[in-house]
Amino acid sequence: MNEFSELETELRKLRPARPSPVLFERVGEALGSGRAGIKERRFPGRRWGGLEIAHPWWSLGFGLAAAAVLILFAVVNMEHRQDQPQTFAQSSPPSETRPAPLETVPSTSRSRFVPAGGTNLVYNTRDEGLHFADGSERPMRRVRYNTQQTWRWRNPETGASLRVSYPSEEIVLIPVSGQ
Amino acid sequence: MEPIASHENWRNCFSEVAPGLLLFARQWVQSAADAEDIVQDAFVKFWRRDHNIDNRGLLYAAVRSLALDFIRRDARRARREATAIAEAGPAVEPRFELEDDTQSALAAAVESLPRDQREVLVLKIWNDLTFSEIAGALEISQNTAASRYRYALINLKKTLQPQ
Repeated sequence: MNEFSELETELRKLRPARPSPVLFERVGEALGSGRAGIKERRFPGRRWGGLEIAHPWWSLGFGLAAAAVLILFAVVNMEHRQDQPQTFAQSSPPSETRPAPLETVPSTSRSRFVPAGGTNLVYNTRDEGLHFADGSERPMRRVRYNTQQTWRWRNPETGASLRVSYPSEEIVLIPVSGQ
Repeated sequence: MEPIASHENWRNCFSEVAPGLLLFARQWVQSAADAEDIVQDAFVKFWRRDHNIDNRGLLYAAVRSLALDFIRRDARRARREATAIAEAGPAVEPRFELEDDTQSALAAAVESLPRDQREVLVLKIWNDLTFSEIAGALEISQNTAASRYRYALINLKKTLQPQ
């Protein structure tokens, strides 16, 4: 028993945030496949098909990020010519940061990328006060969110991964009710 | 905590150490997703090697090394995140599962510690490492590890004292 034992007990009661279930899948695949190299998997978005990307994707802005997503869609659709709908992680209201819902698609080819996760990191929120939209008599509170959205895909066959990250801004109008 | 090397199944082992490892990784990276990437790489690397209970510190050293590499390679992004965090306040993504205001205050106090004290605290409290293992993971002496831990507790006590 020392002078800090009470504080240590309180600290131990704090539980660290739990990892996402996707992490367990990824570790399992990496350990199971045996050939998905550490270097290949390190920091998705920097490496795709063996090509080293010199700069982070997000630094090129939203335009390039959107273009990359379109190219990915095009490549996947052209190669497989399948009509199966692809479900990718959806954007969610930016009131909190959380993993986006995932849907994995069974892999049939070495070039198939499947959604591996997504986050919507809100790093700034600004309340811009009350506004009247379109001459409405009912006031609305306008809140502006600055977010950093990150979507990730990975190829379960090759272990290659792709991450697209870009800044975005959303304005949310919240009806205000008087009392 | 059971010795890591005694686990036959990686999933049991990973379930046990992952929350603490992630918390440790987030001493350097703000994003939980980046921390998960780092932890994944470190754990896979560790597991594939002939791991030994005596070398548990290696797992934490690997996390630290990968995190520092990440910061160096993503310096621009790190600066951007640092600016964003400074503007938005600390811990955009929560590092703890908080149950009440007391725990929130405690978590905030931990966040406010200097990094060198906080990393020792994280390894000691939430990863159950010995000072010897902490010294190995952080490449410092055992005495330094122990004194940083003590300073961390002193600072926490000061921060949490009613004004």
